[in-house]
Amino acid sequence: MRIALLAGLMLTSSMAWADPPAPNSPAGEGTAQGDLSITIYNNDLALVQDIRRLDLPTGRSRQNFADVSAAIRPETVGLAVPDAAVVEQNFDYDLLSPTSLMQKSVGDTITLIRTAPMTGVETRERAKVLAVNGGVVLQIGERIEVLRDDGLPVRVVFDKVPESLRARPTLSVTLDSRRAGQRPVTLSYLSNGLGWSADYVALFDQKASTIDVQGWVTLRNTSGTSFANAKTLLVAGEVGSENNPGGYTPRGRPRTIRAAGTETASREQLGDFYLYPLAERTTIADKQTKQVSFLDVQGAPATRGYEFNNGWLTTSQEPVSASTVLRFSSSRDGGLGDALPAGTVRVYQKDARGNPQFVGEHAIGHTPMGSQIGLATGQAFDVKVRPVVEERTRLSSSRWKTRMRYTLTNATPKPITVDLFQSGLVGDTRVTDESLKSARPNADQVRWSVPVPANGEAIVTATFDSRY
Amino acid sequence: MRGAPVLLALLALAARVDAQAIVTSPAPDRIAVTVYRNPDRGLEPLSLDWLGGYALVSETRHVRLPAGESELRFEGVTSGIVPQSAIVTGLGEAVLEKNRDARLLSPGALLDASLGERLLLKRTDKATGKVREQEAVVRATSDGVVLQTAGGIEALRCTGLPETLIASQVPPGLSAKPTLSVRVRSPDPVERDVTLSYITNNFDWQANYVAELAPGGDRMSLFAWLTLANGDQTGLADADTMAVAGKLNRNRVEVSPGEAKPIIISCWPQGTTSDIPLEELAKAASGELIVVTGSRIAGMAAPAPPPPPAMAERGGGDMMAEEEKLGDVKLYRIPEQVTVAAQSQKQVMLLKRPAVAVETVYRLQPSPSEFESALERVLVTRNDPAKGLGLPLPAGGVALFGRQQGRRILIGEGRVDDHAVGEKVEIRMNEAPGIRARGTVVGAGKNAEFVVTVTNDAPESRAIEIRLPLDARGARLVKYEGSMLWRARVPANGSAELRYRLDR
Repeated sequence: MRIALLAGLMLTSSMAWADPPAPNSPAGEGTAQGDLSITIYNNDLALVQDIRRLDLPTGRSRQNFADVSAAIRPETVGLAVPDAAVVEQNFDYDLLSPTSLMQKSVGDTITLIRTAPMTGVETRERAKVLAVNGGVVLQIGERIEVLRDDGLPVRVVFDKVPESLRARPTLSVTLDSRRAGQRPVTLSYLSNGLGWSADYVALFDQKASTIDVQGWVTLRNTSGTSFANAKTLLVAGEVGSENNPGGYTPRGRPRTIRAAGTETASREQLGDFYLYPLAERTTIADKQTKQVSFLDVQGAPATRGYEFNNGWLTTSQEPVSASTVLRFSSSRDGGLGDALPAGTVRVYQKDARGNPQFVGEHAIGHTPMGSQIGLATGQAFDVKVRPVVEERTRLSSSRWKTRMRYTLTNATPKPITVDLFQSGLVGDTRVTDESLKSARPNADQVRWSVPVPANGEAIVTATFDSRY
Repeated sequence: MRGAPVLLALLALAARVDAQAIVTSPAPDRIAVTVYRNPDRGLEPLSLDWLGGYALVSETRHVRLPAGESELRFEGVTSGIVPQSAIVTGLGEAVLEKNRDARLLSPGALLDASLGERLLLKRTDKATGKVREQEAVVRATSDGVVLQTAGGIEALRCTGLPETLIASQVPPGLSAKPTLSVRVRSPDPVERDVTLSYITNNFDWQANYVAELAPGGDRMSLFAWLTLANGDQTGLADADTMAVAGKLNRNRVEVSPGEAKPIIISCWPQGTTSDIPLEELAKAASGELIVVTGSRIAGMAAPAPPPPPAMAERGGGDMMAEEEKLGDVKLYRIPEQVTVAAQSQKQVMLLKRPAVAVETVYRLQPSPSEFESALERVLVTRNDPAKGLGLPLPAGGVALFGRQQGRRILIGEGRVDDHAVGEKVEIRMNEAPGIRARGTVVGAGKNAEFVVTVTNDAPESRAIEIRLPLDARGARLVKYEGSMLWRARVPANGSAELRYRLDR
């Protein structure tokens, strides 16, 4: 009976000491975030704009902004408050923990509750914290003691949490307001931990020579913070990578654009970048991968081709598979009709029973509309090339003659064409004799378009005259 | 104290105002899996805890969705799912977005999510066993746990008393496993079949060839297993199972297994005036304990070595994978539904050829210098019907057996790469210790002559092939595919000799 009464008392008293609940916000329950707008770039960078309603008194006051991104770049914080000036802004990392609590209590008085080991009887004492250096030295009345020196259970109860200690890194701003009252406050900052890329699903129909392409934007949140009900805008581009501390932006881009396009896509643009706004507000939870559709094209023309590149004038001991290349265009006429943000294209093809099967993928860079695209999705099982050095003759100390033979085999029941490249033509290398007319796309390479009959083979021979 | 949980429950109810209904699809109704090889694995055996291949899983699920906005959660997908590869078909325009949440329910996450919330702090008196519960608000969790109780501010588990925190509900958004979900909006209730396809890590397959050489050495029987491996935590029951042979371009995507945080307990400095630091002793002891447990777990986690493929002669009517062409690669379909269990391997017959004509050639590619070495045994055939083959051969390991007095003995192990129909097939086995070559150099500089002597310890003659660079010159050398070759037969228990010069 007495316990119940006590519990009741505790309950009522507990109502009194509880913190005020989180302020109501349009973002939803349990967060202090306001009206959120997030702009996400490709290189692990996002601009967060957070409009909160604050009730400010006249004169100076300190305002805490909870639930900002845990990966915030505090030096980029900007605050716009009507009828008020920002005196200073702080980003506090002084975290509340048992150690910091004890350290900040030096000189203060705390309560000790000792529990007798045999009986469980509790005794209370007030103690002054003298020092916290490798152990806690306490003054209890006339005695000096070390906390838990005897290994016996002691509860330490502090009266309050020091003002400066916070549960999480917190942005706090001192404002000087000319009037009292509620008003919207716009907080904006850059944050790491948010990024996006595109993912494409391409279903290739070999008979009809078409592809259906669905594009998804995939955004990832590893910032440590959830963003509730945010207006989201994705920017296809990378900005300010030199300001990205510790960030690494790979320079080498996959070579998938065979001819860069010159058409303008019917998307919003900002400077040089295309913008992809999400149609609705969305909640980007922490550790979440989110995908939203942005492209859906049916029946764009596409062809499958074969490419083989011999990197040097060398013999290969065994026949090597040619690459399977899927070729299509991003132009308005006869293509996907859109600019393609960087990402991964996964190619599917239907099997004999009509189920789509994965047949390879390739990364693409930002691709303008109107580009010719070639994706090497894999190696052809049934199409192989074997380059062989037939003869290598030294004409002088800096001049060599190399006779090459390329055997191309096709074990498929259809005739095909293989684009055969010979690279590594350093110095002044000329083709003096060849069995098939070649093209010279650049000084380093020659290319033959070799027709190979169904279930058959084709042979190309060429003689190279190299001067170094 | 009975009032407290009720109060907590009420608070919880107030906090959970979800506009959208959550619909959970617990498991697929039908499932198909296509397994792709790790192209870089070579001859390494399949290791279930590190499989570099992948699989395409297609699941059909029957779902019922209410009108309005709802969240459809797919449970029972593999743990290696690559979330950005997931495709949901059957819901059409209704899909607003796809999500994968990797915030896992763990002690640390539970406490983190309770920051600023009220939990029950339970203390048990060691002496009397009396349990006392009181409300506490979690004030900090990042480096030790700080609580606010009716009495003041306290730290969790820094007192020497047994104490724990009790929550009344799981915070929303935390799940046991990473969960894939779609947000759907539909004007009418929907009931239909939905297909979910995704690429997943943790799968691999390989072909395992078992060849038996006939006594004459000119024919062999060839049999191959299709060995599938699933290193995932999720098994795929009664699945239409396929495997793809061929080298596809794919960048391996590491998938975060989800974030699972423990509760971090950290206390204020615990100094003592005693010489014997009691707590240190206790810590050291427990540390040792952890090491012991860790090694035991590691020992248990290592999978049992895969059983060697059974090598019994197979009769007709066996279940054999059916080959079909898929774009520029080969698809092998297992004709019946099979279960690809979690952390397991499965083998079905891939192909069988009773009599393949082969030639055994002993090969060496020597350097123009003094040397002594054994020759490599190579089985040579052509992948066409005339030789008893004539079907695509996916890459894999080859075990070559012979027969000695009715007993089967292993005489070599090798590997073949992918071979199309019509190609020359060379299976490089191992070194033959009895067929050896010695190289000597006579003279020096431009006039140097190189002598290769091949010896044979077998009672039969052996076909040999010495491969030399294109600028080698000698009466017995012939030009073949970018090399100069010496092809000869070394007589039984005899030797043969080659002399050549280099035209440099």
